[in-house]
Amino acid sequence: MQVAIQGPWSPLFGRLTLDAIPYTNPILIATFAVAAVIGLVVVGAVLYYKKLGYLWREWLTSVDHKKIGVMYIILGLVMLFRGFADGLMIRTQQAIAIGPNSPGVMGAQHGFIPPFHFDQVYSAHGTIMILFAATPILTGLTNVVVPLQIGARDMAFPYMNALSLWLTTAGAILVMLSLFVGDFSAAGWVGLIPLTELPYSPGVGVDYWMWAIQISSIGTTLNAINMIVTIIKMRAPGMSWFRMPVFTWTTLSTNIIGLTAFPVLGAALALLTADRYFGAHFYTAGNGGNLMLYTNLFWIWGHPEVYFLVLPAFGIFSEIIPTFAEKPLFGYTTMVAATFAIAGISWAVWLHHFFTMAAGPDVNGFFSVATMLVGIPTGVKVFNWMFTLYRGRLTFTTPMLWALAGLFLLLLGGLTGMMLAIPAVNYTVHDSVFVIAHFHCMVLLIGAAMFAAVSYWWPKVFGFQLDEKNGLMFFWTFIAATIIVFIAMFALGFEGETRRLDYIYDPAWRPMLWTEEAGMLLYCVSIGYFIRMLYVSLRDRVPVPSDPWGTSRTLEFLTHSPVPFYNFAVTPQVNTRDELAWRRENGLNNVQPEAFEPIHMPSNSGIPFIIGMLSLGFGFGLIWRIWWLAGFALLGIIIAVIIRSFDKNLGYELSAEDVAAMERNLSSAGIAAEQPARTPLTEAEAH
Amino acid sequence: MSAPRTSPLDHPEVRQASAWRYIAGFVSSMVLMQAALLVTLRQHLPYQEYILTIGGLALVSLLSQAALFFGLDISRAQIWKSVSLVLTIPLFILSVGLTVWMFQSLADRTMLMPMTSVQPTLLE
Repeated sequence: MQVAIQGPWSPLFGRLTLDAIPYTNPILIATFAVAAVIGLVVVGAVLYYKKLGYLWREWLTSVDHKKIGVMYIILGLVMLFRGFADGLMIRTQQAIAIGPNSPGVMGAQHGFIPPFHFDQVYSAHGTIMILFAATPILTGLTNVVVPLQIGARDMAFPYMNALSLWLTTAGAILVMLSLFVGDFSAAGWVGLIPLTELPYSPGVGVDYWMWAIQISSIGTTLNAINMIVTIIKMRAPGMSWFRMPVFTWTTLSTNIIGLTAFPVLGAALALLTADRYFGAHFYTAGNGGNLMLYTNLFWIWGHPEVYFLVLPAFGIFSEIIPTFAEKPLFGYTTMVAATFAIAGISWAVWLHHFFTMAAGPDVNGFFSVATMLVGIPTGVKVFNWMFTLYRGRLTFTTPMLWALAGLFLLLLGGLTGMMLAIPAVNYTVHDSVFVIAHFHCMVLLIGAAMFAAVSYWWPKVFGFQLDEKNGLMFFWTFIAATIIVFIAMFALGFEGETRRLDYIYDPAWRPMLWTEEAGMLLYCVSIGYFIRMLYVSLRDRVPVPSDPWGTSRTLEFLTHSPVPFYNFAVTPQVNTRDELAWRRENGLNNVQPEAFEPIHMPSNSGIPFIIGMLSLGFGFGLIWRIWWLAGFALLGIIIAVIIRSFDKNLGYELSAEDVAAMERNLSSAGIAAEQPARTPLTEAEAH
Repeated sequence: MSAPRTSPLDHPEVRQASAWRYIAGFVSSMVLMQAALLVTLRQHLPYQEYILTIGGLALVSLLSQAALFFGLDISRAQIWKSVSLVLTIPLFILSVGLTVWMFQSLADRTMLMPMTSVQPTLLE
């Protein structure tokens, strides 16, 4: 059953030997040194300020949707930085390794990265940016914002929410571990078949890629279930379907996509696992297998995944533009309909990722038309945003600028997408960097939405403003860098440069490649401004009122800033769409409740964190074929689940007096405040 | 509220659960999947009948799990989930149907050898 593998294996360490540690690679040694220093500083600071207990009680074991959301976003930002570093390496290699006389250092004949390592770098870049940066950041944002927007106290399943976070974290740690222990996949982020099969990738790289995605995608699927149930079941009184904010609608549609699409990825990877571990032939060329089955399954998930990412971005634009245009969103109903139309069509377009596979013109024609259909609801959205802006009282704050830049990127990415939807064009530019430039416009529009959302909701969550001056510098340098890098990349695509090149054979591409490198350096400057923005904001901590922008429209801006851990002292009664705008117009936005009632809250739990770390052990054991480690980790997970099943903790209750006291002293209830230990409810009290 | 204030054991789905259903669900799933494995390993059936047989076994397995594990029915407690499951059927039709169409097209255009001389692939 089990497949024989190349190289040594021992029962204790599996395939793991000292050779797996890349101590001869100067880039990785330097990376390890930097990571170790940062790690030591963080751990040292936690110990020095005696915050270990606080960290465990208030964050690592938290089931609060806001804290979980913030941790998702921190995870995503760390991975975004790693993914950017990979992107910088790719661009720098291509800027150096041009022509046969180009210099080569550190074991590379040209440039500074040998081909096999270069393949790992772009594979890691794609995997990280899509699955471990964009996905966690957007999931974090929806976690933070949606329960507040619908007037809920928390997610429907707070414990499962924490579990989702720690499973995603386990996947991300596996990707990071592959830097220092073994290799990462060299088969692209899509897992190019048959390269991912054992005979062609006999190392552990593909296993790292496969298990990292598999474990984290379980977290994403669980989060999708949680979010759908929360939106359906947890809305405040009066929050009917068509009073829901558009961001909540887009979150609902995106998580329906997540729930239905991620299992396909899980199945595709499970079949690959069977091939690599048990010698099955699902994706081999013989014995009844079919190579294209993998590509087909991957993109059945892969294309809905694009909309899984882009729909929340559209929701973010739909919140920010009305706020800073001081007008209700134009065409609310059509916006909702367009959201679900995009989500529906997303299931019938996946073949456009492999038009050149050799399917007939009828098949390609169908998928071409279906792909173009996406342009209709997307166009509806763009026109709705434009009509919202039209004759609005516009304020160009940082979030608004990010949202408007996102619209331009959508236009650029969308129109080039329309070109790529034509099979004849696709045959010409398939696998060229034109395609790379196209989808980077789309993911950078998602990036713009993420930065818009972070700057928009930051003061709400933390209670102080992000520094506007550095925020604007971050915005302008980032957007300038984007234009420089990707306009040049579109041009190179038309000139015929194919993707994933570790050596540039045509010196005529040099000017554009150097232009791209200049753009990358400007991105580095923008990261500097981002860090400075955080530093200045944390240093100055300019407090903000409950509605920091003064023109917000939705329910989350009704409660205090920072949001108390119980969200709303009294569950709000929703009277209309854009509840806060309505209350402001009627002079009701600052009305305080006359009396408080006890609030029931879930207790924190360390089990999700433990299961996440055991999943990490399980994945690591399977990657290195350390069977005892995988077995014990799996057993530990089962035991943890059983312990949780018998846990009688019914949560705790905040008395009306406690709520009143915290409403008077808000600093005791904010996201950074440490809460006293509270006794869980007994069975009798619960009834 | 973030969690029901009543005991989790009072939840309608938990009340609906029973040991015999779990055991029956487990046994039926095991039997049906073992049967599919046996049919595959023995390779006695002609291709079309083989596909229909394992497809049918998978469908019965799915239904038995939906009914016995998840207790899906049209009661007030379960109707949301039953309807949600039914709503995924168009996605199955769309993704499986388009996949079959695409592979058929691909086979016609790329498999130049006479079909009878080679082992059939999954979608022939």
